[in-house]
Amino acid sequence: MNNQKPMDIVQAGLAKRYKKEKRFKLIGLSAIIFSLMFLVFLFSSIFLNGYKAFYQAELRIDVFFDPALLDIKDPASANFDALVKKSLRTTFPDVKKRKEKKKLYGLVSTDGSFQLRDMVLADPALVGQNRSVWLLADDDVDMLMKGYIDRNLPQSDRRISDVQIGWIDKLIDAGRVKFRFNIGFFTNGDSREPESAGILGAAMGSFYMLAITLVLSFPIGIGAAIYLEEFAAKNRITDIIEVNINNLAAVPSIVFGLLGLAVFLNFFHLPRSAPLVGGLVLFLMTLPTIIITGRVALQSVPPSIREAALGVGASKMQAVLHHVLPLAMPGMLTGAIIGMARALGESAPLLMIGMVAFIVDIPAGITDPATALPVQIYLWADSPERAFVERTSAAIMVLLTFLVLMNGTAVYLRSKFERRW
Amino acid sequence: MLKKTVSIITAAVITGAAITATVAGARDYVSIVGSSTVYPFATTVAEQFGKSTKFSTPKVESTGSGGGLKLFCSGIGVSHPDITNASRRIKKSEYDKCQANGIKDIIEVKVGYDGIVLANSRKSAPMKLTRKDIFLALARQVPDAESGKLVDNPYKTWKEVNPSLPDIKIEVLGPPPTSGTRDAFAELAMEGGAKTFADMSALCKAKGDEVKPLMTKLGIPESGFNKKGKKVFQHIAHSIREDGAYIEAGENDNLIVQKLEANPKSLGIFGFSFLDQNEDKVQGSEIDGHMPTFEGISDGSYPVSRPLFFYVKKDHVSVIPGIKGYLAEFTSDKAWGEEGYLADKGMIPMPIEERAKFAADVKKLTPLVLQ
Amino acid sequence: MLQILSSNTPRSTAKSREERIQSKARMLVDREDRCTAGDPFVENPRMSCRNVNVYYGDKQAIRDVSIDISENEVLAMIGPSGCGKSTFLRCLNRMNDTINICRVTGELKLDDSDIYDKKMDVVPLRARVGMVFQKPNPFPKSIYDNIAYGPTIHGLAATKTELTEIVEISLIKAGLWDEVKDRLDQPGTGLSGGQQQRLCIARAIAVGPEVILMDEPCSALDPIATATIEELISELKQHYTIVIVTHNMQQAARVSQRTAYFHLGDLLEVSQTDVLFTRPSHQLTEDYITGRFG
Repeated sequence: MNNQKPMDIVQAGLAKRYKKEKRFKLIGLSAIIFSLMFLVFLFSSIFLNGYKAFYQAELRIDVFFDPALLDIKDPASANFDALVKKSLRTTFPDVKKRKEKKKLYGLVSTDGSFQLRDMVLADPALVGQNRSVWLLADDDVDMLMKGYIDRNLPQSDRRISDVQIGWIDKLIDAGRVKFRFNIGFFTNGDSREPESAGILGAAMGSFYMLAITLVLSFPIGIGAAIYLEEFAAKNRITDIIEVNINNLAAVPSIVFGLLGLAVFLNFFHLPRSAPLVGGLVLFLMTLPTIIITGRVALQSVPPSIREAALGVGASKMQAVLHHVLPLAMPGMLTGAIIGMARALGESAPLLMIGMVAFIVDIPAGITDPATALPVQIYLWADSPERAFVERTSAAIMVLLTFLVLMNGTAVYLRSKFERRW
Repeated sequence: MLKKTVSIITAAVITGAAITATVAGARDYVSIVGSSTVYPFATTVAEQFGKSTKFSTPKVESTGSGGGLKLFCSGIGVSHPDITNASRRIKKSEYDKCQANGIKDIIEVKVGYDGIVLANSRKSAPMKLTRKDIFLALARQVPDAESGKLVDNPYKTWKEVNPSLPDIKIEVLGPPPTSGTRDAFAELAMEGGAKTFADMSALCKAKGDEVKPLMTKLGIPESGFNKKGKKVFQHIAHSIREDGAYIEAGENDNLIVQKLEANPKSLGIFGFSFLDQNEDKVQGSEIDGHMPTFEGISDGSYPVSRPLFFYVKKDHVSVIPGIKGYLAEFTSDKAWGEEGYLADKGMIPMPIEERAKFAADVKKLTPLVLQ
Repeated sequence: MLQILSSNTPRSTAKSREERIQSKARMLVDREDRCTAGDPFVENPRMSCRNVNVYYGDKQAIRDVSIDISENEVLAMIGPSGCGKSTFLRCLNRMNDTINICRVTGELKLDDSDIYDKKMDVVPLRARVGMVFQKPNPFPKSIYDNIAYGPTIHGLAATKTELTEIVEISLIKAGLWDEVKDRLDQPGTGLSGGQQQRLCIARAIAVGPEVILMDEPCSALDPIATATIEELISELKQHYTIVIVTHNMQQAARVSQRTAYFHLGDLLEVSQTDVLFTRPSHQLTEDYITGRFG
């Protein structure tokens, strides 16, 4: 070749090498920035769409708990609807026409009568007294107050008419309208009325489902992982099992839903729409993931620990349970939590087993009909009422919060237990 | 190890207990399945019923009319639904399946009407259409203006379809074939439009030997032959073009409304309740001279509307608590009446006589007889 | 083979090409030359091995090795890398069982019981034949728990006091007590490398073994820690039979009474340590100890 010194050749190529490195770093960085931008866009659009759902308009109405309308002996079955209407008429005495009256009644949520009923049931002494009561405003009023309805549009083009706006303005002037924290969103079940629709029913459904999934999939998955990794003979059969587990982990979740329908509903006759069945389906879905992460966690434990235990005369099971498993546990927990988080966000398999349903009552057990958080989001997104749009986003926020919490727990557990003392 | 064994055993016990509990115990809530169109109304009634009585709130699943009837007809007992909603009448085949599975007495309840609207954004001018225009704009094959034979839909703009319409590209967002709304749209709007052509109308009525000559006249290939002319007709009338003029926008009607806002030149097909809730954003198109309004659909003058039903198993009424109450709530005037809360949700009530008839049927639990 | 050659490369650059070829030729053992030289057999052995062959799958790692290990002696096993000395060591308490493809034939006896007998239970065997590994591998637990683990699983201590006593005695025997007595509850992994290795020795002692196998116990340690361990070995031989695998010939010379030389799976020579290092019987042994290859 030539008589250049090796160092000169190295020097000559150095600039090019650094340039390449810089370019590579830049590409990586831009990929991160790009995906972060999408994330920020997603989160901010969800937040901007949904944060208003956390407060809710209320109207203060003077109510005379008229003994003529309320049967003291059986207040539960009294006509509280009439009581609300009567109170509204007293507040706006000049409304006389039938059509206008109907519009007037539309200001207050249909839930208003239930609010009054609950008050009377809690304190029967109210009957015969005057009270100023904050009642939930109708979703249209709420939307107007939040600025979603344009007052400048012609009357025919909006859900709320000029007279109604007039009444609302009057109420605002009298200090009879206020926003308050929408506690019902966190304590109610689903409802057709956006103003009284809440997430608790779906959250409880998700909770029961995940509890069943966890109780079943964690011990079974880890047992399977330990057996396959530590005890099973390495032969063709274990190879086949391993391939199948990996395949199962990649099977689309809807397939597990179909399986659940065929096995749990049609064969075992478990109840439709029950978190029990949902949990079983999600258990089958997460099991392969937990087995795989469990095996990886076991593999990552250094063999010297096993040897140390075996060297002092521990049996194989003792070596695994006393030494290997505790070291693998953080990894296994992380895997389980990530599996659970995936199960929490799953809605497709639930469609098949009837959990995509309108359920008002908050489930009290694993056989009660229930729905789940992602399903609730889907159902609200499909509802015609405008006010459900913001509730959909709010529900997404709740779901995301749970996911972040779960993944955060996974990270925390890993960092807490992973240090080798 | 011990802990794990314990938890496995606990899990097994819970599962076992749950299975026995369900097999042994009865259901204490009404189970409703069926049409996604009736779903908003059924859920409203269910909620009102649940909140104002001591009964549990009925569970309502949105499975589509066909899916609901399939579940409904699969048997008697707590594991099968009590009520199914439908945006069409029960078919003979479904009725027979019910009978075969031991569901002898079914009560049919018509609850009201639903209109299907074509709407566009408020940002553009309202459209005045006829069913013929709709058919010509959206069918895969339409009769050629001169020869009368069926050709692939040549129309690109509304003006080509009908000179009185604006000169804008045909762009219609609508539900996919799996949707009940699409079925109803095809049946009510497309068939109606197709029948305005004499040959097509004749084909629809033709039977047996009369079918073939008509097919030749329309240029339909032999392979599409059926001795019932109506089948051939429906096949043509229900086929929607796939060259991009009709865009399947998914089952979510809210999405269609959003897309219409973004693209003011396009039209969307969805249920009346969505128009009702979004009147500030979109406007309904006039069809055959009638606007999609409450009154127009209720009295039948607006052509693209359909009745809504639900079906009840008579044998379940005495077993499952709450069915009677739910039926009473649904058929009460405060629910399905002209001023009722279902009207607020966008359902179009039946005339008073019809309501009285069905309310009486429900009260007496008169079973449906299909011949 | 290749491994030996490559590890040889740096030194061989200094040698002439001829010498290199010669040394390569020497490493190939003639068939007749395979029988063990020196005195592999003793009277009243603690362990005796006859015609031991070890295979990893199809590959034979140990060929026809016969050797005795007598009471309270330190037997050092030396030889170039990959000669099978560690493999042979791990046969003595059946640690090779953990490797699926490993197969052992021949006769290995501890006192009079056959180690590879089907009825032999590895759990008590490993309690009697303890092991210390190349890299210190304390459990990620406290110093106390590290030592107490063996006695606990074998049920050697009836009470907590007894257990603490065992822990203390073991640590004293391992010469670690003074350094750690105030921090028994602290993690064993927090100790220095030499301390960790002594902890591992203490852990092995705690279950009361008769034989202790050491697999290059000092290879991961600095010279000072190595010296401490070597001292410890000299003390331990009064109570235990010790078999130590080492790469370090000086170490073998310092701590052992007898030395065995392994070469490519063959046991070529077993002699009194001073004899082996001064008057080796086998040509290859001489080559090895004089540093012709290693």
